[in-house]
Amino acid sequence: MTSIESAQAALARYSPLFQPRSVAVVGASPNGSGPGNNFLRHLRAYGFAGEIYPIHPSAQTIDGLKVYPALDATPQDIDYAYVAIAAERVPDVLATANGRVRFAQIMSSGFAENRNGWELQARLVDTARLAKVRLLGPNCMGTHSPRGRLTFVENADTDLGPIGVLSQSGGLSIDILRRGQIRGLKFSGLVTLGNSADLDACDLLEYFLADPQTRVIGLYLEDVRDGRRLLDLLQAATGTKPVVLLKGGRTRQGQRATASHTGAMAGDDRIWTGVARQFGMALVQTLDEFLNALLGFQCLRPNTATTRRVVLFGNGGGTSVLAADSFGALGFEIERLKASTLEVLEGLHLPAGSSVDNPIDVPANALRMQDGRVVAKILDVLLHHDSVPDALVIHINVPVILGYKQADILANLIDVILTLNARISTEVHLLLVLRSDGDLAIEERRRRFAHQAIGESIPTFGELIDAAQALSAMRDYERFLAKIATGCDAF
Amino acid sequence: LARGADVDWASDSVDPGETAGKTLDEHASKALLKRYGIAVPKSRVVPADLSIVHDLGELEPPLALKVIARGVVHKSDVGGVRLGLLDANAVQDAIEAIRGDRRIAAGAIVGYLLEEMAPKGHEIVVGGLLDPRFGPVIMAGLGGVFVEILKDVAFRACPITESDGYDMITGLKGADILAGARGGMRVGIAPLIEALVCIGGKGGLMMDLGPKLRELDVNPLIVSSDRAIAVDARVLLA
Repeated sequence: MTSIESAQAALARYSPLFQPRSVAVVGASPNGSGPGNNFLRHLRAYGFAGEIYPIHPSAQTIDGLKVYPALDATPQDIDYAYVAIAAERVPDVLATANGRVRFAQIMSSGFAENRNGWELQARLVDTARLAKVRLLGPNCMGTHSPRGRLTFVENADTDLGPIGVLSQSGGLSIDILRRGQIRGLKFSGLVTLGNSADLDACDLLEYFLADPQTRVIGLYLEDVRDGRRLLDLLQAATGTKPVVLLKGGRTRQGQRATASHTGAMAGDDRIWTGVARQFGMALVQTLDEFLNALLGFQCLRPNTATTRRVVLFGNGGGTSVLAADSFGALGFEIERLKASTLEVLEGLHLPAGSSVDNPIDVPANALRMQDGRVVAKILDVLLHHDSVPDALVIHINVPVILGYKQADILANLIDVILTLNARISTEVHLLLVLRSDGDLAIEERRRRFAHQAIGESIPTFGELIDAAQALSAMRDYERFLAKIATGCDAF
Repeated sequence: LARGADVDWASDSVDPGETAGKTLDEHASKALLKRYGIAVPKSRVVPADLSIVHDLGELEPPLALKVIARGVVHKSDVGGVRLGLLDANAVQDAIEAIRGDRRIAAGAIVGYLLEEMAPKGHEIVVGGLLDPRFGPVIMAGLGGVFVEILKDVAFRACPITESDGYDMITGLKGADILAGARGGMRVGIAPLIEALVCIGGKGGLMMDLGPKLRELDVNPLIVSSDRAIAVDARVLLA
């Protein structure tokens, strides 16, 4: 099969999972207290438009929906079954699928994640194979797909975006979706894989690599069954989509009995670090770094040249110094501006306390000159003289700016930045940091501006380190693309 | 010679299956490396029962003499390595000294590996192992204190390309040392990368032996300005 054929096959295979026409729910109860009832509520609130079939041995209706006694008793075949009942009962229920259920996601725990659950999991897999059902889980949380209006979280964002996520943890995937959507991340889909008894990360990675809606892929992995297949998929993908990897359990002591120096060095952390670099995955350490990197890739396209030189512009002396440290620690250069550029900036006659060399620190009383529009002039100089950087990072201390009441300076600043973004070279990354103090009213305004900027493809963060992490993942991706492009001719 | 010391990996007639589940000694490990294109010191084996060493043959002094003995892994810890031997008399004296050292049981000695000493250079460690998820993986790092204390090593999945090898070396924290930092020797990056690819590249040792090889240590690989030479090696078969 050619790679195009296998991509088409992967798209066709998983389309019923991401755009199901019918969903069955096992584990909802007539009194509304089962875990399946929550799923039903979230699914309907999210606007799922297909058929919903609650499955229950005795009830007539659940939440106003007609109930069916078994998976093969529904009027139409089932694209997706959500199963949340006691583990030991799952195989018997699945046995009633009789080839009429395409995907079943098993939320129940009590399988191979427990010492005594291996046998039950083996029985689950055998039953599913006989009933011709592909399994997700067990021990997971669900699938989120804006395209199919399928979700398992409350108040999920209905916007369709470019980020596809695979997670071996269910609970963490709720953080990814909810914290992510508040930060402005837009998802093409998210699948929780739990124990991956049948379908695993590689199967779904193949789908996300093929899916034209998905431009960036996030992986939360604790381990992979077939690491070689993961590497083969990444190799075949030749960096067409950035992949961000959050790898759990990296410091776990290896179980390897070793008799060599090499064996003693071969911890999980070192091997994953090596293969991530080799196959172009951005390896991140924390949930926040994961979200930061994904947001960066959602908004920005890689530069042709690997990003190196960064210009920082914002208000706050200490913040500027610390920002330069954050970016410097990740390998970026905060070079001094050229004398000719400095001369033009000095000609703008900014008030005392301003520092026009990189990192450029312009205090709030200067930012408010001409109700904030002086910023347009400064940025114009930075981007059109001979100190043009690979990335421009603008940071604003929101509560300080909001302290000036005479004009809506913050709105003007955002306007200036959006206008700049529309004209900026595609070879300069523009990142925005809107800093806040956590005050609820300020946070609300901050978030509105952040989402507006993200909507215009400006990745916007809460702190400078977040922007630095996002840019670092982008830089690593650019470097990987350059490595692929030059192959072995690099030396 | 006893089993293990006489496995001739350089000859195609030897089936690795015969030696499954065991450690190849230094001589056999180096013969295997040589077969895959990695330079090893020119050497010969002196049998334990040879009473007098008459001449050095084709070997160019200075030479190193290393004991081959059953149950001895860290030869230098038990006085089993003598360096800088300039002629046959010196070799003879070194053999007598090792024989007389009570740290090695007399009956355990099966012979001596006499080999040319590598030119001065930086010590690199190269390793390989069969990872349960990724299959054959290769490791490279700076030797000595850098690997022991700082654990400054990089791993990659095999097969690696030259570009991967380059990335492994330049990504080390101590990479500047290889570039001649603080007046040190600048190594030839090309022979080093070539050795990495011979071990971990397409058709290289790791890929060729596949699951038959459990672990490999080349420690050290001495890299000078124009060559990389495997001075000690140990292979564990699966």
